[in-house]
Amino acid sequence: MADTVVEPKVETELGIPWNVVVHNDPVNLMTYVTLVIQRVFGYSKEKAQDHMLEIHHRGRSIVWTGPRERAEFYVQQLHGHLLLATLEKTS
Amino acid sequence: MLIFRSKKDLIEFAEVDFVEAEFLRQIPGLCDSSGDPKVEERFYSDPADPSETQLLNDWAEFVKPDLRHLFASARKLVENDLQKLTQTELAHLSVPLKHGDAWLNTLNQARLNLATRYEFTDMELSSVEIPKLTSRRDLALHQINFYAAIQERIIDALNG
Repeated sequence: MADTVVEPKVETELGIPWNVVVHNDPVNLMTYVTLVIQRVFGYSKEKAQDHMLEIHHRGRSIVWTGPRERAEFYVQQLHGHLLLATLEKTS
Repeated sequence: MLIFRSKKDLIEFAEVDFVEAEFLRQIPGLCDSSGDPKVEERFYSDPADPSETQLLNDWAEFVKPDLRHLFASARKLVENDLQKLTQTELAHLSVPLKHGDAWLNTLNQARLNLATRYEFTDMELSSVEIPKLTSRRDLALHQINFYAAIQERIIDALNG
């Protein structure tokens, strides 16, 4: 009788990093977006501004990458500041 | 109107004229997202692609109520602060610096609510022209810009 092999698919999927993406919104002030990114992620002002400018010019910026549960937490924080944010699996 | 951070770690709203005072008092009332599906959708946007059904279901059940409470708490704090706006010809209001985040949040709620309800375009929102006040929509744009200026001053105050 052959042994049954359980593929660790769930563990593998849980290990896939997720991106936290902030999307452009014409209402949110650039200074406000910078402040929120600094506050939520603990980034320097310069790094937060770089992300803000990417959001402004390209429509979106991947501001953080890591485990899904943490990504969900960050997206919730960003929504709490009324930023448009989503989480997505890394490609 | 002047907005500045005082040495006592207060955000001071000084020399507030009648119209500005009225705009300030309207802030909490302008934050109500209920009754307009577009505003609700903006306040409580989806956190992921529609294919992530479990995540979206969990978000709606557990996160959305928390966000609703957060927004309501911020509005209530601002509402309470505004009770202290003096009734003099040039009004004055002192707000604790620690309330700055709640004010930023509430001002953002008001601005997003107005922008979504009146469907302002990117061009309208980024225009530097003073809007003509010939309609309620014109007034809404003026308020969006007015509240944006207050946000900028509060951010300056929080950054020291």
